[in-house]
Amino acid sequence: MYRETGLVNAPPPSAQDDSALLALVQRGDEPAMAALFDRYSKVVYSVALRVLRDPASAEDVLQEVFMQIWRNPSSFVATRGSLGGWLAVVSRNRSIDALRRKRPTESVDNIALASNYNLADEAERNNMMEKARQVIHLLPIEQRKTLEMAFFDGLTHSEIAEMTGDPLGTVKTRVRSALTTLRKAFTA
Amino acid sequence: MNATRHIDQEDLALFAMQLLSSEEASVVSTHLEGCPDCQRALAEVQGDLAIYAHTVDLHSPPAFTRERLMKQVAREKKTIPIDQAPAQESRNQVVQENIGAEPGGRGFGSSSYLTEDEPPRRSLAARVLPWIGWAVAAGLAVGAGDLYREREVLRSNLTAQAGQLDRLTADAAAARQVMDTLTDTTAKRVTLSKEPVPPVPQGKATYVPEKGALLFVASNLEPLQPDKVYELWLIPSNGLSPIPAGTFRPDERGNASVILPQLPKGVDAKAFGVTVENEGGSQSPTLPIVLSGLST
Repeated sequence: MYRETGLVNAPPPSAQDDSALLALVQRGDEPAMAALFDRYSKVVYSVALRVLRDPASAEDVLQEVFMQIWRNPSSFVATRGSLGGWLAVVSRNRSIDALRRKRPTESVDNIALASNYNLADEAERNNMMEKARQVIHLLPIEQRKTLEMAFFDGLTHSEIAEMTGDPLGTVKTRVRSALTTLRKAFTA
Repeated sequence: MNATRHIDQEDLALFAMQLLSSEEASVVSTHLEGCPDCQRALAEVQGDLAIYAHTVDLHSPPAFTRERLMKQVAREKKTIPIDQAPAQESRNQVVQENIGAEPGGRGFGSSSYLTEDEPPRRSLAARVLPWIGWAVAAGLAVGAGDLYREREVLRSNLTAQAGQLDRLTADAAAARQVMDTLTDTTAKRVTLSKEPVPPVPQGKATYVPEKGALLFVASNLEPLQPDKVYELWLIPSNGLSPIPAGTFRPDERGNASVILPQLPKGVDAKAFGVTVENEGGSQSPTLPIVLSGLST
């Protein structure tokens, strides 16, 4: 394959950064696609599984998200931030669409994403995950639950307000506060 | 939140999570199109959400998912773009050869049309021909690019349609199973009730007005004379005449069914009724009505 694409001396896919792998995918390089899958399938699958709570449905989302990368790698461009972050958000959105049994939203992948993290690096990714978990764990329980219900369960602020008995404004504020705390922890 | 003021952080977060109503989301989208500040703020919220997504407990996908993906990837193999310049050169060569050296010397560039005392024409052709070749090659390259894009779109559509076909096939199989169960002559039909009661004729109709789809199942029907049939009627809610919805005969146990008779679509039913008619059915019901039920 590498001889065919003129990349005899290219480093193995696992050592390449995301943009290099995407460029190879653009040219139809299957090992590059496999490398991206190996790098991010765990996060994409785990997010889908958390939302859908059904392994078979999560596998479908996993397949769909990576096939989108294969068919149209330019749907993600470097200016949209980290590929790992983008995939995690797309996986969540696709899963919510599946949960609501609606067609995938056209604009769902049109996500620009500010990120200072190189999620292609496994060590950095693990550090970031650990830190994020700690920050979320330290949030007030109401904020944590509200953000969880909105992001992972796809409940609207009205639905959350109805379920918790809290005013709509309070629900919105909790979501924003939780995200603000998360951002501050990562920009400090 | 309006089109002139910036979108506040709370609404941006809900927008990013697709939790706003379509009207609210539309207002935000419109504002975002012309507001770089809010676009930046949204990107930051998406970055926050990406970090939050990574707090999920990690699970490895089953091993076969990788194989499944790579199989699909192999099925949708890409055509690797060929370097345009060499391709054009070789195409030009072929085109020029075809134009300039047709067998038998009958082509436009053939010297058989030119004589030695016509040098200006020959030199003009010699100057023009290479450019024609390049023009044709460029046209071919553009055409090939268009074809490639078209092919990608078609492939994408094909995959989407294949998925839809799978779902429809599964739906059809489920529907067929329902039909088979309803119409199977060996099926046991049991009506449950609070206390044992003498069996009474009973019919159950399931009707979808928009599709004109009707399923009717009856039990404990009394046997009929050989020249008689039961006929099912749809009584429209708009007061028009009853519409015949199929004739049927009960089996030896008094069971019968009418599955998807020919009915006009969109007729709202006020009630259903069953009468006894002569063999072949009737266009208007003959009293008495032996079974009837109001649509709820």
